[in-house]
Amino acid sequence: EENKRRQTRSKRFENCKGGATVVKSFVKGRGGSASNRRASALKIALSCGDGNGQAVEDIDWDSLTIKGTCQEIEKRYLRLTSAPDPATVRPEEVLTKALKMVESTSKNYFYKCEQLKSIRQDLTVQRIRNELTVQVYEVHARAALEAGDLAEYNQCQTQLKTLYSEGISGCCNEFTAYSLLYIIFQNGSNRDLLSSIARLTPEAREDEAVKHSLAVRGAVALGNYIMFFRLYKTAPNLNFYLMDLYVERMRFEALRCMSRSYRPTLPLEVIARTLGFTNGAQADKDVLDECEEWVKAHGGQVVVDSASSERQFDAKASAATLFMPEPEDAVAHGDANLAVNDFLTRS
Amino acid sequence: MEGSGGFVDRRLADYVSLITDSLASQDGSAFAAALAINATNSYAETVSSCLDHTKDPARILKQVDKHAPLGEMLLHHTRAMQCYHQNRYVDAYNSLEKSANAFLQEYRNWESTWAMEALHVIVYALRTVGEMADREMAMNGKAPDKLKGAGSFLMKVFGAIQGKGPKRVGALYVTCQLFKIYFKLGTVHMCRSVIRSIDTSRFFDFEDFPAKDRVTYMYYTGRLEVFNDNVSAADRKLTYALERCDPFKKANIRMILKYLVPVRLALGVLPKESLLTKYNLSEYIDVVRALKRGDVRLLRRALKANENNFFRSGVYLVLEKLESHVYRRLLRKIYNIQKQRDPGRAHQVRMEVILKAMKWLEVDMDMDEVECSMAILIHKALMKGYFSHKSRVVVLSKQDPFPKLAGRQQQ
Repeated sequence: EENKRRQTRSKRFENCKGGATVVKSFVKGRGGSASNRRASALKIALSCGDGNGQAVEDIDWDSLTIKGTCQEIEKRYLRLTSAPDPATVRPEEVLTKALKMVESTSKNYFYKCEQLKSIRQDLTVQRIRNELTVQVYEVHARAALEAGDLAEYNQCQTQLKTLYSEGISGCCNEFTAYSLLYIIFQNGSNRDLLSSIARLTPEAREDEAVKHSLAVRGAVALGNYIMFFRLYKTAPNLNFYLMDLYVERMRFEALRCMSRSYRPTLPLEVIARTLGFTNGAQADKDVLDECEEWVKAHGGQVVVDSASSERQFDAKASAATLFMPEPEDAVAHGDANLAVNDFLTRS
Repeated sequence: MEGSGGFVDRRLADYVSLITDSLASQDGSAFAAALAINATNSYAETVSSCLDHTKDPARILKQVDKHAPLGEMLLHHTRAMQCYHQNRYVDAYNSLEKSANAFLQEYRNWESTWAMEALHVIVYALRTVGEMADREMAMNGKAPDKLKGAGSFLMKVFGAIQGKGPKRVGALYVTCQLFKIYFKLGTVHMCRSVIRSIDTSRFFDFEDFPAKDRVTYMYYTGRLEVFNDNVSAADRKLTYALERCDPFKKANIRMILKYLVPVRLALGVLPKESLLTKYNLSEYIDVVRALKRGDVRLLRRALKANENNFFRSGVYLVLEKLESHVYRRLLRKIYNIQKQRDPGRAHQVRMEVILKAMKWLEVDMDMDEVECSMAILIHKALMKGYFSHKSRVVVLSKQDPFPKLAGRQQQ
């Protein structure tokens, strides 16, 4: 086996004229026929033309790409620092099974994230860019959104945009909707937002998820909190998780608006109902307690109406005392997912 | 054939004489005209046919070195003209950039500003030929990058002339060409550095720049303010441009108005419908009508009908915020009607009345939404008063419940 490899290697050098550098080949692997294919492809590439080799685009890269042989469905993620050993890389069929495993597992996000990163790496080194690749990024993006891992979501979203633009099919409307919401809530520039919307195709505009995102954008632009929280309750797919990024701010803006315009008071029940503290039904005591706590945490003042013993938001008094508090889970480096306590309590 | 070869050589030599004459007499216009590439009377076609048949163009072109070391520049420049005439725009651009580079190195050392017009001609050519080169690259499946290159080069030109000295007067033209490039490429954030340089100049008063350039500059910076929702800054700049624009340049006036009309609407100033029709801005007609009537449904319909147009030009965000103004108008109408019927109680507007008005306008809104809209009106200070939830009444201030809008910054 080793002799065979040595032979093909020396044959390559024989036909090499002029200072053509040997392309780094992943010869360490087993699978003799594969490495023979690579060797001959390399030979042809180097011997054609005028000794300097052909143009980069004309080399048969597909034969030089490694094909993995590993059959493990579960695999830890280890960042590559050199050419991978095909024995450690999983072929497409195995990766499909691995993806199914991740989708149905009940383990936590850290586990899923690592497995998905590992799948993504195996796809990348084998230069597999097809529907499976799209599915993997979509699954990872969704998991990241649910876990609040925005950095990972953004990475996947960027990859998906490129893949969709290459014509590979996937849930592109679903992710267009996420992308729009992301720009709005991450304080993206107006120009970015406007050009993203202008570029929407007519059928994208008719998609329910995209329509929802556009409606959310409109509500935020006008400061229309009623509309915002109604859309929050009826959010399709995972639009809800992205809107979550803005709920605190919208609630505070709404409270400020109410404190300036209502006189003298406003029933707490109305606030609880219209600012998304309930699920549409009438607010019960628990919900009202939660709402009162939130209002007070923002400097709002709550009084009890003597006649009806209904809790009221004192708009007039609160106008001067409202403030936006520091977020509770603020950590020095800004990423709550890396907080020590959080890490210790994870399973 | 000797005869025709000599004839062609002489024509090329004539072209060189044009240039050397203009250099000797420091005739800016003649020099500029000789170098123009895609202007109507350019020498591109003549030069191109000369180059097709001349055996040794360099020998003839180098004659210019007796007056100024522009021989190499002319070699590249004539090559650019030839490629341009043969519709090979990528090659034309590449030669043009080499020519421009050679010219800039020499121009830097010239004390006087007599050749500024020629510099501008080259700058203009870089942008326009760069655009054509990008189109050619895209058609051949390559990622276009020539216009971007033109942008980088123009920044170099800007840097060379914008400092202390008489050449600064030409810097605003270059700035405007840069704006056009950045807007075309969609990289408007790059405008910031040139704007800062112009706005914070210690060496020059803005009013000393040529009027044409000032109008263009204010037009583009006004548009940037519109993108960023800075309504009063946008108003100031676009109005400046409009007031100084040549009244016969109808197309330019239309471009300014396209952005100024929404901005003025946000400040409560409504244009006459005749103005909108005169300048072909009919997309705003229904918007204006909605504002006059207090008709939210009409506004929403007008926005939807011209959605693509408004999003692409960037005025959508300014227009949609007019919804508050429409509600304001409606409230004001109700208030005026009530004042006529019962002046003592006019300042109290009941929710049922507002809801009825909405129904009549066929706007589908429930109590919560209407309350919210009223709250927003008061919060934005478009209406003075307060809302009583218990009695379901908007209580307007007895004095000046609808304060004037003009000059107020949109929130």
